[in-house]
Amino acid sequence: MSAPGRRVALGLPLVALGFAALAVAGLPAFYESFLYLIFSWIALATSWSFLSGYAGYFSFGHGAFFGAGMYTTAALTTMFDVPFLATLPLAGVLAAALAAGIGAVVFRVKRLRGELFGLLTLAVGFVLATIVLNTPIDGGPGVYLSGVPLPRLLASPTGTLYLLGLGLAVATVGAAYAISHSRLGLGLYAIHDDEDVAELKGVPTLAYKLIAFALAAGIAGMAGGIHAMYVSYVTVGETFSITVPLYVVLMSVLGGARHWLGPAVGATLIASSLYVFTGGQQAVLGRALVALVLILVILLLPEGIVPAALARWRRWRPRPAEVLAAPAAAPAVVAPAGTLACDDVWRAFGGIQALRGVSLSVAPGEVLGLVGPNGSGKTTLINVISGYYAADRGRVTLGAETLTARPAHEVARLGVARTHQIPRPFAHFTALDDVALAATFGPGRCSPRQARAEARGWLEFTGLGRRASALPHELNLHERKFLELARALAGRPRVILLDEVLSGLNPAEVASAVRLIQQIRERGVAIVFVEHLMRAVLELSDRVVVLNEGEVIAAGTPQEAMRAARVVEVYLGKAHVA
Amino acid sequence: MLLEVRHLAIAYGDAPAVWDATLAVGPGEIVAVIGPNGAGKSTLVNTIAGLQRARAGDLRFGGADLGAVPAHLVCRQGIALVPEGRRLFTRMSVEENLEMGCYRGEARRARAAMLERVYGLFPILRERHRQLAGSLSGGQQQMVAIGRALMAQPRLLLLDEPSLGLAPAVVDHMFEIIRAINAEGVAILLVEQNVVRALEIAVRAYVLEEGRVVADGPPAVLRQQSRIREAYLGLRDEADTNP
Amino acid sequence: MPSLTLLGQAVVSGLLAGGIYGLLALGLSLSWGLLRLVNLAHFALALLGAYLTYQLGTAFHVPPWLAALVIVPAFFVLGMAFHAVFAYFRVSEFGSLLVTFGVAVILESLIQWFWTADYRRYETAYATASIRVGPLFVPALELLACLTAAGLALGTWAWLRFTYVGKALRASAEDPAIAAAFGVNHRRQAFLLSGVSAAYAGIAGAFIALISTLAPSQIWAWVGVVFAVVIIGGLANPIGALLAGLLIGVSESVTMAVAAPAWAPLVSFSLLILILILRPGRV
Repeated sequence: MSAPGRRVALGLPLVALGFAALAVAGLPAFYESFLYLIFSWIALATSWSFLSGYAGYFSFGHGAFFGAGMYTTAALTTMFDVPFLATLPLAGVLAAALAAGIGAVVFRVKRLRGELFGLLTLAVGFVLATIVLNTPIDGGPGVYLSGVPLPRLLASPTGTLYLLGLGLAVATVGAAYAISHSRLGLGLYAIHDDEDVAELKGVPTLAYKLIAFALAAGIAGMAGGIHAMYVSYVTVGETFSITVPLYVVLMSVLGGARHWLGPAVGATLIASSLYVFTGGQQAVLGRALVALVLILVILLLPEGIVPAALARWRRWRPRPAEVLAAPAAAPAVVAPAGTLACDDVWRAFGGIQALRGVSLSVAPGEVLGLVGPNGSGKTTLINVISGYYAADRGRVTLGAETLTARPAHEVARLGVARTHQIPRPFAHFTALDDVALAATFGPGRCSPRQARAEARGWLEFTGLGRRASALPHELNLHERKFLELARALAGRPRVILLDEVLSGLNPAEVASAVRLIQQIRERGVAIVFVEHLMRAVLELSDRVVVLNEGEVIAAGTPQEAMRAARVVEVYLGKAHVA
Repeated sequence: MLLEVRHLAIAYGDAPAVWDATLAVGPGEIVAVIGPNGAGKSTLVNTIAGLQRARAGDLRFGGADLGAVPAHLVCRQGIALVPEGRRLFTRMSVEENLEMGCYRGEARRARAAMLERVYGLFPILRERHRQLAGSLSGGQQQMVAIGRALMAQPRLLLLDEPSLGLAPAVVDHMFEIIRAINAEGVAILLVEQNVVRALEIAVRAYVLEEGRVVADGPPAVLRQQSRIREAYLGLRDEADTNP
Repeated sequence: MPSLTLLGQAVVSGLLAGGIYGLLALGLSLSWGLLRLVNLAHFALALLGAYLTYQLGTAFHVPPWLAALVIVPAFFVLGMAFHAVFAYFRVSEFGSLLVTFGVAVILESLIQWFWTADYRRYETAYATASIRVGPLFVPALELLACLTAAGLALGTWAWLRFTYVGKALRASAEDPAIAAAFGVNHRRQAFLLSGVSAAYAGIAGAFIALISTLAPSQIWAWVGVVFAVVIIGGLANPIGALLAGLLIGVSESVTMAVAAPAWAPLVSFSLLILILILRPGRV
């Protein structure tokens, strides 16, 4: 949490009170109106960023939820005489439910999720407009709300809306702050950088995406409800035009979609400058200009204003190195130990049988070397154990629990961690934050503060203590591999699956990695060690399992297994079997 | 020498795969590169074929510097690749895959003649020429991959692990074909995990381990060295007289 | 339950409307399937083509086929120019979504600036011509559009299937590295494809001008349907795009005849959601 960020956050309620006081004191209607619009855009842009900025699922349908809210209020007040204020939460709930429904369908599709989501949300608005246009909700002529009683909180009618808008804007920005510093936010940021790895580290990706989406839509719905009163004449054409989706995207992206305050900054800037373009042809130009700015921002300043400004601030006033409590000795493995067992696991892809009835077991504190020629199924097996792939047949158990048929994040929570052959750190996370994420979502289930302390411990353990605040692109390969290791350890796993952790390292680095693995073994973790570097396998493994074409062809001590006739034949050919 | 590789270093991002590779292939020779998994053999071959750029070192073909040639023009120099894992265009038919082999200008004119030649070498492909490449068996796919490369009328054929995942009888047939192709004057750089086969067919071989060439020479000499056994299985023989 | 004649007419209208959908979907399907670029500006480009056809026709009395001869090559060049910008800035697949969104809005604004938001109708002598087939009326212009769509779809399919360039495009889409190893220049391909895609948008635009009423907001009306057509028909599958277009066209039309007219847009959306639920691997 950066110092300037915290200061701003604390100042927020004061700012809000200030604006409220202004209204009570009595503002000219023009300013009330102008400020109301800015508040409305702040709420819309900030809520949009919950899913689209933090998690990276760009939605072009924010306008649909806004429109749904507008029409909910319009319909309920005019057709059923529901008091205006009461319609607002209803508008929010309806919009949220709509989003949850869409999300439930789309978020399950694995490939092309990003584009699909974008296009689908773009289509939703149009469909909603059609429904509204062709049912008694609107029917065509639009809905007049001028007859709807508006509770008078202040002297002027716009004053009430001003206060409502202010309240929603403050609540939304407050929610943004809260989310971005919570586990939900952490998970969303991780999803943005690498959804598969986030799932593997224990983040419940589907649930988090749905929550963020529903929350964003709900706020947009409420903003719509308020806006219905503001315009007092609601038409389909105006409500569901491309304006809202477009502006919201631009405001967030301009201000910085990943930052809690970014969209608010962007919204204020754009809404203020747009006031210059009023109606008619000028509004058209305004839209074109907005789109042009969006394109330029994507091409030239993809991260947005706020992060760029923060980066500059940091360069000028470097943060004092975080004062550490003396680094803790690396935490002990806490969970009850368990034996990992694969029982007759089968898995095929298309027509290719990648695993044929593989059975093996690894006890706590044991290192099992998993070797075999290219294409023998080693990585597939790791993927099945970690839950990334489902097994067609067979079971994987850890201690008393069954791992098969569980989503990957549950498998991670039960104590299975893996490293990737090509390291996959989260691009926007510092080393410390990356490891802390694993600690937060792993079986340890720490609070954020505890997680950071633990993360520091693990970084020290792997020799990366001094690189804690480095971003992945600033680390070399060796450091990134060890980061993978630290991250895997931070989840306090009972089993670690190491996928070619030594590949690409020079001999000195290999030696230090081997030492590290031995230390991990001493803590009672079960280790499955996939490797091509035979010397290391023989040195480290207690037992070795050899795979070939998806089957286990030998198992035993390293010496036994590698001398087994079948193994020698597979690697070297019949002539060498002496 | 047709192909000359000197002190080549190749990396993925900053993950080095090959530290220092030096080898050469003469016109019409069959040269093998053997070594365990992860040694960098495929990386080396892919770089020669132009799929990747080397970090350092010298790569020459027919005297011309290959390092500066963009990927899609390497084929024109006379090098064709049979990639590891075949990498056929699975959604295209057998014949279309073969035709892709002679995509570059001059080879296209000889299309019909070359197709005849490939079908002559692999009669079963003629039967299945309309079938989708993705639906063939492993051995047949390997034939298509080799045929595709032949269509380019190369001077040097790069074969990356042709025996991978194939039954021994099929592998036998494969190596006969390779001999036949070589007999027509095509130089071959063969990457193989299967040491026996590789040494049977090659006139010279290089052993690649952890990104470096650790031994080279004629097969007879290499067979004597326990270096290979050590490289593949990690075991040191007790009765080991050669270092 | 409406009469058989009415249903028959609905099917005919549906087929003809589906032709236009297929026409619009062609370019998008190609660029999304072979270039992995989602081009939201495609629709805006088509509408621009429509407005240009209309303008050339009403202001300068240029017959539509002549207008098309000018517009289509111009759009080809425009498509290549767009791609040049993409390539220069190395826009990611995802960034392309946002950038083309921006371009679409700019194009829409341009259209509205020049032609205002008022509805425009391109009145031609043959607008009302139609052929009688038994009790059914088949409007001539729309028939022409449908036939053109079918022709283009078949032509594109043949191009992809039988020519070297087409095969290179397909190979490159599946495995660009190996395609390059056999001489395929991916960069040049991408330019070609962008140009072709934009040209198709131009052709679609010419027909839209002849058949529909024009308004700038039409752009967003097409997005949902055409996008559904592309996915249901399969990426980079020209015949699939045509058939999916016809399917959706007929479904919409029949829905309009049987239920209320304005529920049509829901049809494509529902079909799409259905496909996504049942066969999520389709994309």
